[in-house]
Amino acid sequence: MGVVRAHSRVRSSGRGTSVLPLLPFFIFTGYFLIWPVIALTLRSFHGNKNEWTLANYRPILHNGPYFHAFVVSLKLSIVTSIIGSLLGAFFAFVIVKYTRGKFGAVIDSISAVFANSGGVPLAFMFIAAFGVEGIVTKLLKVFGWDLYAGHFTIFSFTGVVLVYSFFQVPLMVLVFKPAIAGLRREWEEASINLGASPLTYWRRVGIPILLPSFVGAFFLLFAGGFSAYATARALTVGTVPLVPIIIGTLVDGNVISDQTNLGDALAVGMIAVATVAMAGYIWAGRRAARWRNP
Amino acid sequence: MKKFTLKWPLIITASLLAIFIFIVPLYGAALYSFKGNGGKGHSWVNYRWLIHADGFYPSLFTSFKLAVLAVTLNLFLMVPTMVFLNLKGARYKSIVDFLCILPLIIPVVSLAIGAQVAMPKFLQNTQYELVFFFVVIALPYTYRALDTSLQTVALKTLVEASRSLGASWTRTIIRVIAPAIRSGITGALFLTFALSIGEYTITSLLHWETFPTWTVVSAQQNILGAIAVSVFSFVGAIALLSAIALFSKRGSQRIEVEE
Repeated sequence: MGVVRAHSRVRSSGRGTSVLPLLPFFIFTGYFLIWPVIALTLRSFHGNKNEWTLANYRPILHNGPYFHAFVVSLKLSIVTSIIGSLLGAFFAFVIVKYTRGKFGAVIDSISAVFANSGGVPLAFMFIAAFGVEGIVTKLLKVFGWDLYAGHFTIFSFTGVVLVYSFFQVPLMVLVFKPAIAGLRREWEEASINLGASPLTYWRRVGIPILLPSFVGAFFLLFAGGFSAYATARALTVGTVPLVPIIIGTLVDGNVISDQTNLGDALAVGMIAVATVAMAGYIWAGRRAARWRNP
Repeated sequence: MKKFTLKWPLIITASLLAIFIFIVPLYGAALYSFKGNGGKGHSWVNYRWLIHADGFYPSLFTSFKLAVLAVTLNLFLMVPTMVFLNLKGARYKSIVDFLCILPLIIPVVSLAIGAQVAMPKFLQNTQYELVFFFVVIALPYTYRALDTSLQTVALKTLVEASRSLGASWTRTIIRVIAPAIRSGITGALFLTFALSIGEYTITSLLHWETFPTWTVVSAQQNILGAIAVSVFSFVGAIALLSAIALFSKRGSQRIEVEE
């Protein structure tokens, strides 16, 4: 008993700190986060007869429905991140500049709801607002814009773009606000003292400083849009071929593929795309941090 | 003078945009959910359908139960971890930070498929497996919330004082640290709860029925009812989080006074 206690005291006060208190965390994330990804990757390289193969990846890399799904997913996430980041940056700017105190905190939490807990409710709300009988549709008609004159439906690609922007914009507000708030007053004063107009200040100082944060936030939005599942699933029921939706139909057995582990390969492909986006996010974050602690 | 002319056009543009993008769809959906039978008039009929619908209470109860369990597990796991990290484990911080960012990188769909491959049968046979994955997807938010508030308190002083007065580690965390980082804990708590109660992707891919998956299934039968559910949960979430924002602001101010 005494020996054990003495031993543990030596360990914790010794040269290196013990990892022991972090063990539960490492075991938990190891088992419920890392292990599923490894198991998934391993199985994606196995064929129907459990032999090692690259066959599951072939449909993704060759022209066909699965390749097409990646193209549509990429297009959707790029378009919605562009809309989301530009509009969101504008909102963030106005919020930082002209609101303070409690109102700011409320806007923060409203943004958090819109950005995070969208999912299923969001899809149904948009059906109600932008459907053929929707209020917004009728309102726009009053202003002479008939949404349904062309090919638009809320269940189409354009419809999904509209709904995704609804959570991309507030996400951008949340992520980008700190960057704008971090712009120092002294920088603006200094450049104006040196004879710059406000426009010159923004062109030569403000925007170059904010650019890395903006790019980083763009990548984050991209990754989020690329992985989103719930909204598109509830909204389109498969009318727009997105990678996560196709994985879902393969898992549910609604679509039978002659390759049992094809879904695994698609899922690994999604991880690959998301990793590239997050690498961009981390890289941009490092560049943005340069200005934080001079 | 110039500032004045630029300020109001910007505020007005932003407000109009916000109203059109966010308020109008929300309001439109709310209005729609009050449509009467056959789309005529206004009534509570969709909300009344809701509370009598098969599976409404059971699925809501399941979601609630799983969310409470996820919050509990999350706090038991992450509060001690984050305290240790900020106190002594500085050199493990980058790896923990990386692991906590991972759920943002790994698409939830991929995690769900991975769970099907990797989890043992006995775990896959119970809905409680979801709890672990709810905690996983809440990690990025929990980490940020706890880390931010731990950095605002004089952690070392608090711990030394408490330990030298003879308190055990458990007691120190519960009685000294937890009250000091209350705003971070409330933040982590409500974010985990909100994420868990609205989680759809993992739940539906692992074929469990919770409130969100029930909503999607029941929409095929009654779309107006599903819209009513959506409006109800959206407005509820906004009200709840706004209340917390005001509440936790007060909490962090108190800590500043105590410092």
